[in-house]
Amino acid sequence: MKKVLYLVPILSLLTGCWDQSMLNQTKLITAGGFDYTKNGKVVTTAAVPQAVATEAGQGNIMNQIFSASGFTARQSRLRLDRKVSERLEASKNQIIVFGEDAAKKDIYHLLDVFYRDPKSALNAKLAVSSGKASEIISTDFEETKQSTGVGEYLRDLIRSAEEGATIPKENIQTVCPVMFDPGQDFALPYLEPVGGKGKAVNVKGVALFRGHKMVGSIPEPLSVVYTMLTGEAATIQMSTTKKIWHKKDEDTLNFATIKVKKNKRHFNVLVSPTGEISAEIKLKTKVVISEYPQDNLSKPPEIKEIEKLLSKKLSKDAQEVIKRLQKMNSDPYGVGRKLIGFHYPTWEKLNWEEEYPKIKFKASIEVDVVGSGIIE
Amino acid sequence: MSSHSITHRQLFFLIIQSQIGVGVLSLPYSLFSKAKTDGWIALLLAGIFIQCSILAIWKLCDRFPRSTIFDILPKIMGKHLGFVFNFIYTMHFAFISILILALYNNVVGKWILFDTPHWVIIFIMAFTGAYFITSTPREMARFFTIVTPLLLILLGLILYAYTDVHLLYIFPVGEVGLSSIINSSSDAMVSLLGFDVALVFLAYTSGVPNKKLKVISFASLCVTLIYFFIVVTTFIFFNPLEIVIVPEPVLYMLKAFSFTVIERTDLVFLSVWIISVATSFISYLFVASKGVQTLFKLKKHESAAPFIALFCFLIAIIPNEKLEILTWNKYISITSLLFSGIAPIFLLLIAVIRKKREKGTASS
Repeated sequence: MKKVLYLVPILSLLTGCWDQSMLNQTKLITAGGFDYTKNGKVVTTAAVPQAVATEAGQGNIMNQIFSASGFTARQSRLRLDRKVSERLEASKNQIIVFGEDAAKKDIYHLLDVFYRDPKSALNAKLAVSSGKASEIISTDFEETKQSTGVGEYLRDLIRSAEEGATIPKENIQTVCPVMFDPGQDFALPYLEPVGGKGKAVNVKGVALFRGHKMVGSIPEPLSVVYTMLTGEAATIQMSTTKKIWHKKDEDTLNFATIKVKKNKRHFNVLVSPTGEISAEIKLKTKVVISEYPQDNLSKPPEIKEIEKLLSKKLSKDAQEVIKRLQKMNSDPYGVGRKLIGFHYPTWEKLNWEEEYPKIKFKASIEVDVVGSGIIE
Repeated sequence: MSSHSITHRQLFFLIIQSQIGVGVLSLPYSLFSKAKTDGWIALLLAGIFIQCSILAIWKLCDRFPRSTIFDILPKIMGKHLGFVFNFIYTMHFAFISILILALYNNVVGKWILFDTPHWVIIFIMAFTGAYFITSTPREMARFFTIVTPLLLILLGLILYAYTDVHLLYIFPVGEVGLSSIINSSSDAMVSLLGFDVALVFLAYTSGVPNKKLKVISFASLCVTLIYFFIVVTTFIFFNPLEIVIVPEPVLYMLKAFSFTVIERTDLVFLSVWIISVATSFISYLFVASKGVQTLFKLKKHESAAPFIALFCFLIAIIPNEKLEILTWNKYISITSLLFSGIAPIFLLLIAVIRKKREKGTASS
């Protein structure tokens, strides 16, 4: 009896209704974009997909695009909320796009609201647009009219580029530790609207960051080499096409396409007794030749030859990537992080921002052909 | 008495569940803010320090079998001083219960129930505690044993973090110096508190003394290792500059993972974590109610249960700002270190010097 008496007040407590958030009273943002206006205000653009019933009975997705400006990201979001009939929530957000100008200023200021809110989705993708973010968000995509919203479309676009190793895998949370790290930087997908009035979006390459700011970009074919050098073992479709011959008349015959099976990275940072810092990335990669229009891969010497040519070409590209990174002063491979970890006294003394572009940084890729498809 | 006694295995789970509690979430943060990347060394040191306290507690309780700390104090210090110390110890255990309530409320209010009034959140926990401690120690120990496998879920979720870690973040080792490491190991000891409930529960444990010591030490070792795993994982997940701005790194880390079915992993973690908090709270509340029983010479501790729970509830709803809770945390941590960590050693010394021991126990 006594126990029953205890139960009564407990049961009455179980019906708490303070913390409910009704789906029919909220609008879920699936894609968000940030830009700056000329006078320094933040413009937030948000895409809110709404299911619309059609006569045929099939659900159709209509994308509503809203935008508002304010002095901070949060203020612009609050103003956005005033323009929308229901309450806006970013808990199912799929992607955040920064306009190039916004990315070059500081992205942490804009992201703070996502890190601070316990409800926000930290696994949303991040991307930089070569123009304005609002252009990307409000693109009237050919591909997505019927099925999905802008958020899903852009997320899938980025995912497929990640699988193709055009860009490294990142989301809001994964960039956060790196953003704070004085010894490492990161890169985000670099998007551009294509097709006149914007019917599609193209992944142009990677946008490199230094600290919280974007400092440059690496375009598409080279960005695969960039991703390979990050030490990613392999993705589903890590492929690249390289021109390895220069003697054939028909240009197509000069090319070979490889698919990476496995990468193994040796990354060393050394400090000489005189205090000179040098870094070296050696990548051993096992590849399958997935396209070789010349069709003569039957004999081992020929394969050896191709291995040599590919290694030479890829190493050249790798060195090119490093050269660009040092020029941009972006350190995505974490040379500085290695210094902090293993040469802390050296690190404490130096000004990394000045030192990094000057260090000796070598990169090479050694190709090992392990297969050639189903023909030779 | 027999239905009150608990076995060695139950004692093990009792200690484990009392030790793992609120501390899990913020331990990496508090360790890092003082000892930087060497926080994990501080944690291991704390584990060693705690072993000393455990030895003292065990030896003390061994001199007075079947007596709780509240029976022991008057015996070694005399009736009047013993009463004063009984009061102090009761308040000490009550305040740890209060701190658990306040911290629990702080986390739940911030992460899940934003709009629910704080007193409701605290009331539910306090009420559960009041109900639980009306049972016998054996029943409590059984419950603690049943819920222990849930810890595996917590560890499994944390294990998932290894999909995205930066091993280099654990370096450099030993850069902050020994003094900061020792300094921050006191913080770690506060998170490892919970072994002190042995002061009361040892009186209920049946069996050989040596086995009891082994069980408590092993429990404390397990908890230290679990914490070590959690701390190292968060240290290599977050950047050294980032971890200082996330007071609950474990939750923050889990928030980033999402699976096909589960979007917010941190909520799953929290719901399991609440059980761990409840078990520590129940342990301490039980100990406090034992104290009240002795102070007021009650026949059963059950009659003290509603009052001590109400007391804890009323005090726990006072601090309503984050800073206030932090101040409370600071002061209660200091007193806990004093009464749970250091005092047992002194009490043992007094008992040895004054040659106090229960009649009939063989001198070793």
